[in-house]
Amino acid sequence: MSADTAAPAALTADAAVVGAGPAGLAAALELARAGLDVLLLDEQAEPGGQYYRRPGPEVLDAVGDHRPEGGRLVARVRAAGVRVLSGHTVWGVDDDRRTLLAASPGGAAVRVRARWVVAATGAYERSVPFPGWQLPGVVTPGLAQHMSAEGVRLGRRAVVAGSGPFLLPVACALLERGVRVVAVAEAGRPYTPGPASLGALRFPARLAELASYAARLARHGVRVHQDTVVARAHGADRVEAVTLTRFSDPERVVARHGVDLLCVGYGFRPQADLPRLLGCAVDRDPATGDTVPRLTPTGRSSVPHVYVVGEAAGAAGAPTALARGRAAALDILASSGRAPDRGERRRLAVHLASLAGFTRLTAALYPAPAELVPALARRLPGPTLVCRCECVTADAVRAAAAAEGGSDVPAVKGGTRAGMGLCQARECGPALEALRAGGPGTGTVPARVPLRPLPLAAVLELADTPGEDV
Amino acid sequence: MTPRSAARVEVTVDGRPVLVRPGTSVAAALLEQGRWDFRVDPVSGRDRGPYCGMGVCLECEVTVDARPHVRACLERVREGMRIDTAASGEDT
Ligand SMILES: Cc1cc2nc3c(=O)[nH]c(=O)nc-3n(C[C@H](O)[C@H](O)[C@H](O)COP(=O)(O)OP(=O)(O)OC[C@H]3O[C@@H](n4cnc5c(N)ncnc54)[C@H](O)[C@@H]3O)c2cc1C
Ligand code: FES
Repeated sequence: MSADTAAPAALTADAAVVGAGPAGLAAALELARAGLDVLLLDEQAEPGGQYYRRPGPEVLDAVGDHRPEGGRLVARVRAAGVRVLSGHTVWGVDDDRRTLLAASPGGAAVRVRARWVVAATGAYERSVPFPGWQLPGVVTPGLAQHMSAEGVRLGRRAVVAGSGPFLLPVACALLERGVRVVAVAEAGRPYTPGPASLGALRFPARLAELASYAARLARHGVRVHQDTVVARAHGADRVEAVTLTRFSDPERVVARHGVDLLCVGYGFRPQADLPRLLGCAVDRDPATGDTVPRLTPTGRSSVPHVYVVGEAAGAAGAPTALARGRAAALDILASSGRAPDRGERRRLAVHLASLAGFTRLTAALYPAPAELVPALARRLPGPTLVCRCECVTADAVRAAAAAEGGSDVPAVKGGTRAGMGLCQARECGPALEALRAGGPGTGTVPARVPLRPLPLAAVLELADTPGEDV
Repeated sequence: MTPRSAARVEVTVDGRPVLVRPGTSVAAALLEQGRWDFRVDPVSGRDRGPYCGMGVCLECEVTVDARPHVRACLERVREGMRIDTAASGEDT
């Protein structure tokens, strides 16, 4: 084991940063440079998070490093003296609501106590169930992106579907690996009259980038369907075909394609369970329906020593994640008397505001998840597995939601076991929330300890920590 | 191509020796072999394969060196590693 992964059982630091993506790396760097003792924990094999996800050096040698700036940032973080604990999963918080409970790569329990906690846990992809989504070969666009970056050709014929700007680069990544992408299906109408129209608009650089992906797809003859969603994946033990229908007219079949790979995702959802366990106040984002921590512009939560940065604070892309990480670090330094340059903080605030403007502009092009997800969930055929972990059908969830007390998401979970399986409702959560009747009661899936199923050793060592909904 | 790009390490998948590219995730190594049956869903008895690629869905769990419930998308391959999927009959 490298120095990165050997850890004693109880650790203390000035600041504990959870998540080594762009946001966590930026925060850790700024804090360590100012002389703070910083611990950076991440469950992946190497720092980088999703955007700078780094396969092993052998892979980078063989298939190329498409984000070398990520490697440089990680090197600077190490050089600044940050203690990097890779392969460490933070799964809970002790009763003091301050001590983090983690598991080492070998499964041993690790306790971390710090003056400040920076949650930089990123986002995961928003899934909406459909018949057949549990078949092997049906994956999220992010999986397709990561495996393509590792040099894997995931299939021979693929359809990429869902909503959001991420679908286009993912389709391009698949093409680069020799996968024949037969269609991209976007639920909204962002590219009206056609994908090429993006290029004609005077949009900032990121949209120009999107236009270049659209152009590459056009060159490869990839059809981009708009107002189109996956109605069903077909297959016995693997995905074999997909039926696409109009979003605005579910009876209308757009196409049926034979495929051995189907990538479906509806953008990103903040992974904010850790701040919830730490007692941070949260709100429901009206546009996305996601539960997001209530924060100051510099990422400080309602619990003064807890900061939330990056996508965990709301999906907004890697440049925003970097800026949020730095802004939180400067705020921590200011509150600890190590007054950083005020001009620096002002410039960062202006930069963050302009990035937020761009995020709003992009979001406005695509359907709001808070409307899209319920529309899709409502039309699910009864036998569809809504909860893929516990195999709970749409009919069962609807029946529980219609029963007395069914307007309460925890009651629906308890009654059906939907959302109680391995993924802890991370995949079915949006659909579960959409399928409940509405009205009074808790409308959101609660955060629950443990955040990840635990290696047995860690459970036994901390056996007296009870499961608890927050 | 650099010489390292042609390098392979030997691992055991369900008892059989397999050459894989070093530095990849266990998930990538299995998918490259065309394997999508990582685990069997205990409720339906059907095969499941990796879904999220980032550690949250748990559909990619395999047994690594007798350690059960290892997320293949987060774990790197190592020379001599023993990977057991549901097909080995050992992972339950
Ligand atoms: C699968 C996937 C692929 C993506 N690919 C792209 C892309 O190609 N281009 C793009 O512009 N955007 C991409 N994104 C969006 C991306 O999330 C952001 O642009 C950027 O990575 C956000 O940075 P972050 O630092 O906030 O979080 P992340 O980069 O997501 O980093 C969060 C880190 O926290 C770790 N973590 C989370 N919970 C725990 C825990 N409990 N214990 C320990 N560690 C934990 C994670 O392993 C991860 O490394 C992707 C997102 C996902 C989910
Ligand atoms: S593929 Fe989802 S946890 Fe590995």
